[in-house]
Amino acid sequence: MEKPILFEAKEVTKNYANHTALNKLSLKIPEKSIFGLLGPNGAGKTSFIRIINQITAPDSGELFLQGKSLSRNHIKDIGYLPEERGLYKKMKIGEQAIYLAQLKGMDKKEALKKLKVWFEKFDILNWWNNTIEDLSKGMAQKIQFITTVVHKPKLLILDEPFSGFDPINTNLIKNEILSLKENGTTIILSTHNMNSVEEICDNIALLNNSNKVLEGSVENIKEKFSEKIWEVSFKGNSVSFANSVWGGWELLSQQQIDENTIKAKIKLSEKLLLNDFIRGILDNVEIIELNKVTPNMNDIFINVVKQSEKLQPNENE
Amino acid sequence: MKMSKIGLIISREYSSRVKKKSFILLTILGPLLMVGFIFVALYLGQQEEEKVNILIHDDTFTLTQFITYNKENPNKLVVYDTSGTKSYNDAIADFKKSEHYDLLVYLPENIVKTKKSTGIIQYKKPPTAKALTYITNTINKAIEKSTLQFYNIPIEDYDRLKSDVQFRTIDITTSEENNNLAKSAVGLVFGVIIYLFIFMYGVQVMKAVIEEKTNRIIEVLVSSVKPFQLMMGKIVGIMLVGLTQFTIWVLLCSISLMVLSVVAFPDMMDAANQADLMQNNIGSEVVMENDFADLVFRQINWPLMIGLFIFYFIGGYLLYGSLMAAIGAAVDSETDTQQFMIPVSMPLFFAYLIAVNIVGNPHGTTAFWCSEIPFTSPIVMLVRVAIGGEGMVWQVLLSMFLLIATFISTTWIAAKIYRVGILMYGKKPSYKELLKWIRFKG
Repeated sequence: MEKPILFEAKEVTKNYANHTALNKLSLKIPEKSIFGLLGPNGAGKTSFIRIINQITAPDSGELFLQGKSLSRNHIKDIGYLPEERGLYKKMKIGEQAIYLAQLKGMDKKEALKKLKVWFEKFDILNWWNNTIEDLSKGMAQKIQFITTVVHKPKLLILDEPFSGFDPINTNLIKNEILSLKENGTTIILSTHNMNSVEEICDNIALLNNSNKVLEGSVENIKEKFSEKIWEVSFKGNSVSFANSVWGGWELLSQQQIDENTIKAKIKLSEKLLLNDFIRGILDNVEIIELNKVTPNMNDIFINVVKQSEKLQPNENE
Repeated sequence: MKMSKIGLIISREYSSRVKKKSFILLTILGPLLMVGFIFVALYLGQQEEEKVNILIHDDTFTLTQFITYNKENPNKLVVYDTSGTKSYNDAIADFKKSEHYDLLVYLPENIVKTKKSTGIIQYKKPPTAKALTYITNTINKAIEKSTLQFYNIPIEDYDRLKSDVQFRTIDITTSEENNNLAKSAVGLVFGVIIYLFIFMYGVQVMKAVIEEKTNRIIEVLVSSVKPFQLMMGKIVGIMLVGLTQFTIWVLLCSISLMVLSVVAFPDMMDAANQADLMQNNIGSEVVMENDFADLVFRQINWPLMIGLFIFYFIGGYLLYGSLMAAIGAAVDSETDTQQFMIPVSMPLFFAYLIAVNIVGNPHGTTAFWCSEIPFTSPIVMLVRVAIGGEGMVWQVLLSMFLLIATFISTTWIAAKIYRVGILMYGKKPSYKELLKWIRFKG
C-alpha cells in the first residue's frame, strides 16, 4: 500500500538578484520515510530547506504539509537542524534548550519534562547547568539534535546531521533517526555522505544547478543505473571468450585469477540480453561465477551530476 | 499561560543581561559615583579657602599702604612689602630663595598715573584664576584709593559716586529667578547621560545581533520566529534593561541625595538661610556653591526631566538601536562594523557637541532645528528643556512626533536589512548592496 504524502512541493521557484536558486522544483515526500535531498554545493538544497522552514519565501510555487498549504501554524510541526549550527555561548544549556523548545511552541513545563528525558537518554543530564563552552563539540551537537526533535515535529529536516560526530555518536544519531521514523516522523536528510544515504534513505531527490535531475526510491534508482554491468569468472582462453559473442557488449576489464581462471568485467548493450551472451560463451569457456555489478550512490551521484552539466551548460557562472 | 514568541525573546534578552555581574556593578556604582562627585563638588565649594603669601615690590611707594589698609580677607592674601628697603632685583632674589612666598607682584612706578600700565606677577607655581582675580581687584582698588588721596577727594564722596548695580532676572509667568548657566549645566548632565545610554545600549543591540550571527544559532531561531520578531524582541529587551538601569539610578540617586542633604549639608535645605546668603552677596564662590545645592535640591523639575529623559531615551534608542541592529546583521564580526558605525555614531556625537554649544543661546536657530531633527533631538531638546523658556510645549510635541515617525521608518528599513543580512556570510556588503537588500521581497 502506498504511504500517504506528508509534504509536497509544487513548482517551487526562487530567484536571487543574479541567479536562480530553485527552478520549478516539485517533489513529494511520503509519511514515515527518510527522504535524501542530495546535490553538490550550491545546487539549491539550502534555499529549498529555508523555504520549507519559511525563513524565505518562494517567488512562485506552492508547498503543502499534510495537504494544507504551508503557513506559520506549521512552525511547531517542523524541526530543523541546520548545517551551520550553534548555541549561545554564555547561556546555561538547559535554559537555552527550554528557550528553543518554547520558541517552537512548547510550554515551559512540558519542555522541561521532555528535555530531561532526552538529556538522560544522551547521557548529558549532568551538564544541564553548564554553558556550551564547557562542552565538547560532540556534546554540543547532541544538544542541538535534542533541541531539533524535542517538540516532536512531524517533519524533521536534518542538514548534514553527522558532520562533527565521531563514529560512535554517528551511530547513536543514526539509530535515533531510524527510531524517529519508526515512530511516525518524516525526515528530510540533506547530506553529502552517500553511505548514510544508502543505509537509511527510502527516497532521494538529486538537485543540480537549481534543477531536480533525479528522483525516486533508492532501490529503483540503483536498479535504473545498474547499466547491465556483470562480472564473469571463467576457466578458458581469454581470446575465445572475447570472440564467442560478436558485438553488443564491451569488455571493461579483465584479471587473471590463477593459471587458467579469468575474471572479466563486461557491459552489455541495451539490445543484448544476458541470456544471449551466456549462450554465446557457454561453448567456449567454463563459467564459474556470474555477478551483477550494482553502482553505489556515490557513483550515481557523480555520473548524474556530470551528465546534467553536459546537458545544460552551467547557467550560474 | 504561554508567553508569546516575542515575549520569550524579550524576556531572554532582558534576564540574561540584568543577571550579568557587569550590569549589577554599573547599576549600583553609577549613582554612587555620581552622588560622590556631587558631594565632592559641594564639599570643595565650602572648603575652598586658599592662603597665598605674596611678596610685593611697589615702585610707586604708595600703593602698598592701601592694600594693607583695605585688606578684606586677611586669610587669603598676606602681603609683604619690600619696596623702600630693597631693589626689585633683591626682591627677586629673596623670592627665589624663600619658600615662604607664593607670588612676587611687581607694581611699576607709573601704574598709578597711567592706570593702564601692566604689573608683573612672577610665580613658582602658577596662581589659580581665583587668586589672580583677587589680586587684580585688590590692586585696582588700591590704585583708586591712592588716586582719591592724590586729588584730595574724600572716600565718602567717592562712595557716593560709585555705583554697583546688579540685576536679578525673573520669569514673569513663574516668578522664578532665572539661573540659566546652572540650569544648562543640569541640562548638559542629562544630555551626557542620554547620549551615553543611547550609544551604550545601541551598541549592545549590535553586539547581540553579531553574537547570534557568528555563533550560528540564528538559523535555528529564524526557523521558529520571524526575523522581525527576533529583531524587535532584542531591541525591546535591551531597552528594558536600559530603563531598569535608569530607574535604579534615579532611585539610588534620590535616596543618597536626600541622605546627603540631611547629613552633610543641613543648612542647604533651609530656605531662610538661603535667602540670607543671597542678600549678603559677598564672595562669588559662596554664591556658586549655594546655587549648585539650590539647583540640585530645589530648582530642577525632576518629574519633567525624568519623564522627558525616558521618552527621548526610548525614541533615540529605537532610532539608533534599530540602525545598529541592521549594522550587526550586515557584518560577520565586530571588527567589520567600523565602516557602518561612523555614519551612525557621527550624528549622535554631533548632537552632543551641539548641546554643549547651544547653552549660550538655547533658543536660537541652531538650537531649534537640532532639537527638532530626530537624529539630534533626544540630546539637544533635553538640554533646551532643562534651561527652559517660553513656547516650548509645541516644540517638544513636534520633536516627539518627528522622533516617533523617524524611528518607525528606521526600524522598517533595519528590519529589511536584518532579514537578509543575518543569513549572509562572507563578504562585507557595500552600501549599494544594503540598498538592494532593502528592496528584496519576501
